[in-house]
Amino acid sequence: MFSRLIGGSKMLLGLHKPRRSLKIWPDDIFLVSFPKSGNTWTRFLIANLVFPDAPVGFKNIHKLVPDPYGTSKRDMERMARPRIIKSHECFEPRYPRVMYIVRDPRDVVISQYHYHRKCKKIEDGYPMEKFVDRFVAGDTCPHGSWGENVGTWLTARHNDPRFLLLKYEDMVADTQRELGRVAAFVGIKADSERIAKAVERSSADRMRKLERAQADECGLTKDSRKDLSFVRAAKSGSWQKDLSEPLVAKIEDAWPQLMVFLGYKLVTRGTAGQPAEFSSLVSSGV
Amino acid sequence: MLKRFIVGAERVLGFHAPGRNVAVFPDDTFLVSYPKSGNTWARFLIANLLHPQADIDFSNVNRMIPGIEVTRNRDLIRTPRPRVVKSHQYFDPRYPRVIYIVRDPRDVVISQYHFQRKRKVVADQFPLSEYVGRFVSGQTSFYGSWGEHVASWLATRHGRPGFLLLRYEDMVEDTPRELSKIAAFLGVASTPETILQAVERSSADRMRTLEKSQAQLFSSTKNTRQDIAFVRAAKAGGWRSSLPEEHALQLDEAWAPLIRWLGYETVLADKEPVPEDQHAGLFVGERP
Repeated sequence: MFSRLIGGSKMLLGLHKPRRSLKIWPDDIFLVSFPKSGNTWTRFLIANLVFPDAPVGFKNIHKLVPDPYGTSKRDMERMARPRIIKSHECFEPRYPRVMYIVRDPRDVVISQYHYHRKCKKIEDGYPMEKFVDRFVAGDTCPHGSWGENVGTWLTARHNDPRFLLLKYEDMVADTQRELGRVAAFVGIKADSERIAKAVERSSADRMRKLERAQADECGLTKDSRKDLSFVRAAKSGSWQKDLSEPLVAKIEDAWPQLMVFLGYKLVTRGTAGQPAEFSSLVSSGV
Repeated sequence: MLKRFIVGAERVLGFHAPGRNVAVFPDDTFLVSYPKSGNTWARFLIANLLHPQADIDFSNVNRMIPGIEVTRNRDLIRTPRPRVVKSHQYFDPRYPRVIYIVRDPRDVVISQYHFQRKRKVVADQFPLSEYVGRFVSGQTSFYGSWGEHVASWLATRHGRPGFLLLRYEDMVEDTPRELSKIAAFLGVASTPETILQAVERSSADRMRTLEKSQAQLFSSTKNTRQDIAFVRAAKAGGWRSSLPEEHALQLDEAWAPLIRWLGYETVLADKEPVPEDQHAGLFVGERP
């Protein structure tokens, strides 16, 4: 009852996190991904692109590219529009326009493992095998499994003009080009100089420095172990040395069609079976 | 501010329907469908099966099988467990076990059109052509378009444990057979007699009679036009006579592969054949 009273009062003042009850405006743009797929990096890129004069960092990112799970309802409603909002939700039909970042699940699982250590959800010696089993079953976060999260969005919105698919690996390979796609989608006129500047200000090195200085001022890193960093390798493909073959096989067996469709080459199985046909499954009719 | 105060107070007291924010228990089973796909009928069937001693009607079905969009949070939390909970939500990863009812979208659109007339959302003269367009783009409900809804569940859960896919059309064709599947899925002991009894007590005729006297006692019929019935035809395939072909084609163009995969005939078929097994690779399980 007491906690409900607090919840009710917070709601009255608009200090609660809106979460799934977020009020959505027709000009909102969402930046969606499964956790640990480069969402925070992309938020920095976008914030630096949209607000070239702001000192973008961990302490203010939740006000520049807000997060319905970390930003209060009041702050969300007072933001300048159009808003660009971070989310980890599975398919949500109310989101008017969506940029979806996808990352190789074999890298995602390693990143999430370390993030869970950092957040003290698992101990240092926690068996990777157990973590991979839970990852495949969708038990490591409240946003479905990797396949569920990615699959719902691709099935519903791929090839739709309201949807922009970004691959983390492409972003690492050519950040400039991918941020250019983001700018075009968001409708920001940005020359290559402005884009280059945003890329530079969101570099892994710079983010690491900012993290060291501001870790206690950001919901993502507050109350977590400081001996492990939030900005980690910032690379793609490290699963090839960090993940044993049987564990790679577990992930590839869970979502073969989806991985092949996305261009993630399978190394433990010959074929994926019938290729997935996301593009033709649900056309929006809009 | 006053509105916020009321919402806050309702929340403190648990009077709000939680909707997508519902608290999920690990032993929950969710009865999910796009709106107008036979969900209320299925709730009657299941309630009658689970509570053979009770008199299930429109006044108490919301209590027996609570709905996250209509039942107060405090009543949802107090429902004896394991709960069977009704939901119209598109994919929610938190639902542990799901009975999913799918229905031919060409019948769904007609049913929804009449229901929204009943609810005074659209006027009697509202052009069906415009309604079909809004239906296809998902603007007629809060739960996405029909295709988005169905695909979000099939792509994630079909063919995996804890998911039962039912077609409304199969339920109409052989209700005892389909209800037996539900009983087995829920782990409820049943005999042909108990199944038949539940089916009879949930017949369209009986539901129509109940609706006449209880319309004000049920969330979906309260404060709606009483000259239009909630329990309507209760049939499958009505679209063939009541949906002009151009509109049927509109739906086909939006979702032909999905419609085909579900085993529904497309009008488009002759003109533009769709490969039979186009989605064999996408949806893990067998076609219904």
